[in-house]
Amino acid sequence: MITLEHISKWVTTAGLRTFLLKDINLTIKEGEFVSIMGPSGSGKSTLLNVIGMLDDADEGKYDFMGNQVHSMKEKQRSQLYKQYIGFVFQAYHLIDELTVYENIETPLLYQDTKSTERKAMVGDMLDRFQMVGKKDLFPTQLSGGQQQLVGIARALISSPKLILADEPTGNLNSRQGEEIMELFKKLNEEDGVTIIQVTHSEKNAAYGNRIIHLLDGRIEHPR
Amino acid sequence: MFRNYFVITLRNLWRNKAYSAINIVGLSIGLACCMLIVLYTKDEWSFDRFHQKQERLFRITNTSKSPDGNVRKSGITGLMQGPSFKEAVPEIEAFLRYSSTGFTIRQGTQVFDQGATFVDDNFFEVFSFPLLKGNPATVLKEPRSVVLTPSLAKKYFGDKDPLGQTLELKNGENFEPFTVTGIAGESPSNSSIQLGMLIPFKIRLGDQPLLNEEWLNYSLNTFILLKPGTDFRKAAAKFDKIYQTLAAEEIKKAKEQYNWEDNVHFDLQPFADIHLNTEYGAANGLDHGSDPRYGYILSGIAFVLLIIACINFVNLTVARSLKRAREIGIRKVVGGQRRQLIAQFLGESFLLCLLSFVLAVFFVELALPLFNTLSNKALSFSYLFDAKLMLTYAGIFLLTGLLAGWYPALVLSGFNPVQTLYGKFRFTGKNYLSRGLLVFQFTLASLLIIATLVISQQFRYLTKVDLGYDDSRVGIVSTSRIEMAKWPMIREELLKIPEIESVTVDQGGYWGTVARVNGNKDMQFDFKIVDDNYLPLFRIPFVSGRNFNTRIASDTASGVIVNEAFVKEAGWKAPLNETVDFFYNNKKYKVIGVIKDYHSAALTQKINPQLFVANPTYSYSQVFIKFRKDKMAAGQPKLEAVCKNLFPFQPYSFVSMEEKNFNQYDSEARWQKIIGFSTILTILISCIGLFGLATLAAEKRTKEIGIRKVLGASVPVIVRTLSADFLKLVLLSAAIASPIAWWAMFRWLQNYPYRIELNWTVFALTTGLIGTLAFLTIAYQAIRAAMDNPVKSLKSE
Repeated sequence: MITLEHISKWVTTAGLRTFLLKDINLTIKEGEFVSIMGPSGSGKSTLLNVIGMLDDADEGKYDFMGNQVHSMKEKQRSQLYKQYIGFVFQAYHLIDELTVYENIETPLLYQDTKSTERKAMVGDMLDRFQMVGKKDLFPTQLSGGQQQLVGIARALISSPKLILADEPTGNLNSRQGEEIMELFKKLNEEDGVTIIQVTHSEKNAAYGNRIIHLLDGRIEHPR
Repeated sequence: MFRNYFVITLRNLWRNKAYSAINIVGLSIGLACCMLIVLYTKDEWSFDRFHQKQERLFRITNTSKSPDGNVRKSGITGLMQGPSFKEAVPEIEAFLRYSSTGFTIRQGTQVFDQGATFVDDNFFEVFSFPLLKGNPATVLKEPRSVVLTPSLAKKYFGDKDPLGQTLELKNGENFEPFTVTGIAGESPSNSSIQLGMLIPFKIRLGDQPLLNEEWLNYSLNTFILLKPGTDFRKAAAKFDKIYQTLAAEEIKKAKEQYNWEDNVHFDLQPFADIHLNTEYGAANGLDHGSDPRYGYILSGIAFVLLIIACINFVNLTVARSLKRAREIGIRKVVGGQRRQLIAQFLGESFLLCLLSFVLAVFFVELALPLFNTLSNKALSFSYLFDAKLMLTYAGIFLLTGLLAGWYPALVLSGFNPVQTLYGKFRFTGKNYLSRGLLVFQFTLASLLIIATLVISQQFRYLTKVDLGYDDSRVGIVSTSRIEMAKWPMIREELLKIPEIESVTVDQGGYWGTVARVNGNKDMQFDFKIVDDNYLPLFRIPFVSGRNFNTRIASDTASGVIVNEAFVKEAGWKAPLNETVDFFYNNKKYKVIGVIKDYHSAALTQKINPQLFVANPTYSYSQVFIKFRKDKMAAGQPKLEAVCKNLFPFQPYSFVSMEEKNFNQYDSEARWQKIIGFSTILTILISCIGLFGLATLAAEKRTKEIGIRKVLGASVPVIVRTLSADFLKLVLLSAAIASPIAWWAMFRWLQNYPYRIELNWTVFALTTGLIGTLAFLTIAYQAIRAAMDNPVKSLKSE
């Protein structure tokens, strides 16, 4: 599904090149549940953003489901990730001015889904996460765990093949965190969604079936 | 998708009430001003275009050039031009002479002054004024007929059917009955001809045939109706030849008698052009002549206000973008494309515009009475709902939406989601655009403040300056003709009123004439016929010589008093006993006194050479009454009673001289108000914009302020830090505005022969004022931010 070859990314300050990612080679197959670990500043989020096409690599090749991402224009790339990728963030990143229902609906709006279809899809999703009663609440009226559930529901609404989660449980207490991880596991096993998560916690990493360790922008020892 | 945008826009507006209010109120003020101006312009352009034959309607104009190169243009002609040109030029279908006049009307024991117009009998065939009663073809055929408007008919006849009723009009020395033959509808407000009372021209002409000398006696408007399909330029080109042939004798006579050698050229001016043309003017019964400069300046101001409000919108939206950056990031991550985001932000700006638009309509309704006073119009709110105007407003709406929305839309939609979502995002940089726009706003505000101050100073100067004579406690009563011999008796009657200190007379109105000095020099000057008390009553000082003395016969018979300007122009070293030769009636006068120059006319005009006579062959028609101290109010009713007795059948009219003098500066007073209001609006919009920016700046720098406080900065120091940025920009604006304003005001003042000197204090005052206003605007936010508990602001990170 994903093949990264010699991917590097850097910033140049005062003529000095600081590598955020250096020569990353990585293949992820469809249906995998991968955890990326590493200390702060090791490039975990950067790697996730490159995979999610939010960020460009400065060097290297990136193949996503047969598409040469590194040579695509922004518009084509956004078409691609709109269709296949869902994002989940540590800070949830819900739109405060929209209700739970409207937040979940937003990706569908950008895919020009018909109104009746949208209603059905959002309804299903609310059902599945048992949030029907909360659909008219605003994000600030929810607990952190519930907000993250909305975030995941939003990521899932367009039936992505890949979910990228950047420390999805970082702002949650352990019980809420466990619930989220269980949900990911279920999605991965039952629905066949490929998941890549960045995490600090060994325990959460263990939910996946493969762990990648990053240090100073390099992959330490892929297993 | 639109519902989603719509909802988020409304919620955003609601959550940020202060910003929404700033944007909406600001924009709606700008829009309201534009709406008013569109109304104004529409009214101006529609002037006189309702006549069905307006495409074929023209007015004869004349341009006369004197041998010394003086060119005078006017729309006034004599009695002969109309009929003579019609006879000789086949393209002319009809001519119509039109001249304003006044009649005294008697009704029982009461008398009224009534303005009226002499018109030729084809008036209702040439123009499209509706005739409510009467036959348009015959209504003015009889010499003693009169056509009234419904309001005048009501004034004189109440609810009776006016048709066939008679009015007693003073014609010559006697009152004669005139029959009401028609009732004309009230004229629309956008008409140069405002109907009142119409009287056939025949009555003015009497039974005598037209004298050829009427060629040169310019007193009326002549309108021409051309035949369909003719070129007015071709028709007009024939006029001069006709004039030179038919009036040849008159022209020769004028040259011999008055040394008059002007070269006169006649032309045609489209009727619909009269209103906005200042060259030929709209006088003698034509109303509402307008200066197109008013339109330009008002439009300019409205446009500037709209721009300033749009700047607020751009600045505030960009400044607020930090808060919205996250939303933009999320939208991009979940699949929103830049195009879609641009659409969203433009949509927001349009929604805001729409709300402003609705509010603007209310503002327009509120401001219309004030605007009507300022623009000298009678516009009505209902004019807004006109198909063409609606289209214009839709245009303004689209323009505003784009103007205010495009920049924020482009900037915001370009945000990088990774930066905004991971908190790395800072909308920093120098932000030259926002600063530039702020400077632009405050430069305009400073310009207007300076203009207001200078105009006010000049106005105060015009109305308060020493006129060179004493106009206090003086009233003017217009009378019927007073023979000079009768004056002493009338004076005695008036002086019996204890409140009256003294009285004098003159001939009424401004007269100018020409006479010869030094045997060879012809001079133009103002000519006043007075009695011996005129100069003393107004306390006009003498430079040399003496006043008229009634006991010296030669004083009244051949003595004149002149002013310094006269002496200067005549080039006299010793003016006393010099001779002024009225060559056209063979009278020679001798100078017996010279007075100091004084402002007999408005200060907008230079002091002309002036000459006074007290010659008994003339008559008077204006009495001046000087009241005793603090007795002006008490004396007036008594004066009225005496005047009614002295001048029966003459409507009593009293006006205070000070008031009359003040009213000469009507136009200046209007400008002062227009610029004053624009200044207030500009400052208001600019300051609420600045307030918004200061709020956002304080928010953006919350963390910095927290750290500074923890490190020991005091509240004043922080307030200074926060204010300095903006204050510098505002002061820069004042610095930019000053030279521009100096130049503009210097040019404006050149229009006045008597004017104030431009003074640096105006510029200092403006800088101080705008600085203070800006500081007060910023201070509230700065102080609030500085007083905040740093623990709170630092924890949020």
